[in-house]
Amino acid sequence: MVDMLPMTPEFGEYLRDESRSVGTADSISFPRTEDEIRSVLRSLHGVSGADGKPVAITVQGARTGLAAGAVPSGGHVMNLSRATAYLGLSRDEDGTYLLRVQPGVILSELRRHLARHTVPTDGWDRASLDALEELYAGPEQFFPTDPTETSACVGGMAACNASGARSYAYGPMRPHVRALRVALADGDVVALRRGEVRARARRLTLATESGRTLELDLPTYTMPCTKNASGYFVEDDMDAIDLFIGSDGTLGIICELELALMPTPAVSWGVNCFFASESDAIDFTCAVRPVLSDACAIEYFDADALNILRRQRERSTAFSALPAMDDAWSCCVYVELACSSREQALAELARLGDIARDCGGSNAATWVGRTDIDRETQRFFRHAVPESVNMLIDERRRTDPTITKLGSDMSVPDERLRDVMALYRADLAAAGLESAAWGHIGNNHLHVNVLPRNTADYAAGKRLFEKWARAVTDMGGAVSAEHGVGKLKRSFLAVMYGEQHICEMASLKRQLDPYLQLGQGNLFELETCERGA
Amino acid sequence: MRIVVCVKAVPSTTEVKMDPVTNTIVRDGRQAVVNPFDATALELALRIKDERAAAGEHVDVTVLSMGIPDTERLLRDCIARGADDGLLLSDRAFAGADTLATAYALTCGIESMGAPVDLVICGKMAVDGDTAQIGPELAGALDVPCIAGVERLVELCGKVLSAERATDAGREFVEVELPAVITVAKDAAQLRMPSIAGVLAAEDAPVAVRTAADVKADPTRTGLAGSPTQVVRSFVPERAHEAVPVEGTAAEQAAALATLIEEACR
Repeated sequence: MVDMLPMTPEFGEYLRDESRSVGTADSISFPRTEDEIRSVLRSLHGVSGADGKPVAITVQGARTGLAAGAVPSGGHVMNLSRATAYLGLSRDEDGTYLLRVQPGVILSELRRHLARHTVPTDGWDRASLDALEELYAGPEQFFPTDPTETSACVGGMAACNASGARSYAYGPMRPHVRALRVALADGDVVALRRGEVRARARRLTLATESGRTLELDLPTYTMPCTKNASGYFVEDDMDAIDLFIGSDGTLGIICELELALMPTPAVSWGVNCFFASESDAIDFTCAVRPVLSDACAIEYFDADALNILRRQRERSTAFSALPAMDDAWSCCVYVELACSSREQALAELARLGDIARDCGGSNAATWVGRTDIDRETQRFFRHAVPESVNMLIDERRRTDPTITKLGSDMSVPDERLRDVMALYRADLAAAGLESAAWGHIGNNHLHVNVLPRNTADYAAGKRLFEKWARAVTDMGGAVSAEHGVGKLKRSFLAVMYGEQHICEMASLKRQLDPYLQLGQGNLFELETCERGA
Repeated sequence: MRIVVCVKAVPSTTEVKMDPVTNTIVRDGRQAVVNPFDATALELALRIKDERAAAGEHVDVTVLSMGIPDTERLLRDCIARGADDGLLLSDRAFAGADTLATAYALTCGIESMGAPVDLVICGKMAVDGDTAQIGPELAGALDVPCIAGVERLVELCGKVLSAERATDAGREFVEVELPAVITVAKDAAQLRMPSIAGVLAAEDAPVAVRTAADVKADPTRTGLAGSPTQVVRSFVPERAHEAVPVEGTAAEQAAALATLIEEACR
């Protein structure tokens, strides 16, 4: 039995995540195995806390989430950062490598182990070791999901259906998860393998390992046809595994994942294309999407983001390695090419240059990253934007601790990209707010960040986000495209799906977690769950 | 004005592994890259070219390397970033060269260019050799002055180049009249990225590949034959290190740490 430790000040960091929200909790555990996870769940199942209510259980991974999904709402924190074992490797009938891991495995370590051929093999059987030998002998393999924060753990990435720049080509986490073992609130386990358990319309039957059968009524809403990490994934005849991916730790706890690896592209080049106006950058994005067959990421940096980088480069030695940007360049679209040959990459590059020129840019006003050093410079450029914004906000918080960064995570369908950008610009200008926008323009998914100077700005920014949630929903979009809903975007989810559908989600949760203990406060408030009952 | 930038292909990884049996570097199959010091050298040459171009003067920047045929790919990358052309000295006769034979081959390459060279810029040293000898040896062979370890190119005024270099005693301000050789520190500049236009143009740009005979090199002075350096033995130094994870509550970790320190002090 793993220790359940009192939440003393030394564990203070486990009350927070990267969203900078702070919660409360009474105890914490650090299970390392599925048995330990289940024993904690069994010991807390239906148990009431000091307030007479069932003890809330908040599961955490690396706490890199931006929606406060891992921030506890009282009760117990189950932190899975020590469940980091690599469990085995196999190949499917198509030859795809399937790597079984525990949820606490960190993405950057997974990448490093695959690249350096150092995957830990403690306790592996002969078949797994043979598969690993084959993997090392063949073309390099990688795991394609790439959230900006590479210290994220794979369990958390599955829990919020994380994406990243390359989701333009590879999609979010969901399609790369082949199997899950999920511990339910009572400690029972469901083992799910993609393709094996499907719903009939909106009715899903799950068999647990203890022999129970769960009949679940799935919510009736229709999900938007955009990049989406808002609420439970449901559709007619859906695969059962997809219900748990993106469920924000509210339906069960992921104890084990089987991840599908992919061959690393032979040639991977990054291209920053600079433009004099946002309108040109949007034209360019719309023009390249149907033409480029090997783009795996299309990212955007607006004028405010570039100006922040220019200032940082001048002021801080930590950012002096940023490449100089011509003052005539107002915004940037970054395209990543993943090609099977150099010739193919050159052909794509030529197409990109032609389109940039047609859209008011120039193939000279570009940076092409082909070497590791140049690619690293481009990564630094991309990561320096949110890092600089965080530094700016931290500076402002010294004089006004009530403010924090407000970052949007909404997506719309392709045909509404121009509309949503116009909406953002008009509203920010009308409100007189400072901002910086960047993100996944290829998926019509921008992170518009309001940079409040004072409490009034902060309040105005929040009002804008509520307004945008309604507008984006009307455009057929999603209020959260990759961060998940967590606790911070509950109100947006209600706007997106409406009260009836939220109650259906709550009702589904109650069927799997009758005491409403898991991930309390994520997606919807406890009171909604109680109404859903 | 003509500037020659000497570049060397080095392993791309910074985490060099040694074969414990042969005591040689394990090449992990990754492609070679331009030695980072030489990348800085190229950037300084391109800055001179840009500045002179603004004043209406044309500057030719040629990248020069001695290496295997695949090195041509790196020279094209240098052209994509702004160099005008490249010369690759590639021949089995050059294999096994130490710094003296390398400097001799590069000298032959420079002399084969025909037009007079005003400035040769080298990286201070290569990350896989660390000798820092090529630049000064090249200056000796060409019989021109050399400033080694330039950290800042102060000015190029007419035929007089002034630069700042670090010495054990502090900083030194040096002026030389061209032609000259300078070697540069890695942090003196950051090599620019190529543009789409540059990459596409570099595909058809001139990169001459020449043998030892092409550049009229004396076979007794090239490759292994021309290398007085004798490597008696290479080996990986023995290192012993052990990591012990310390876990548990803060009190438990402190107690475990105290025990470890006590054991280490015994």
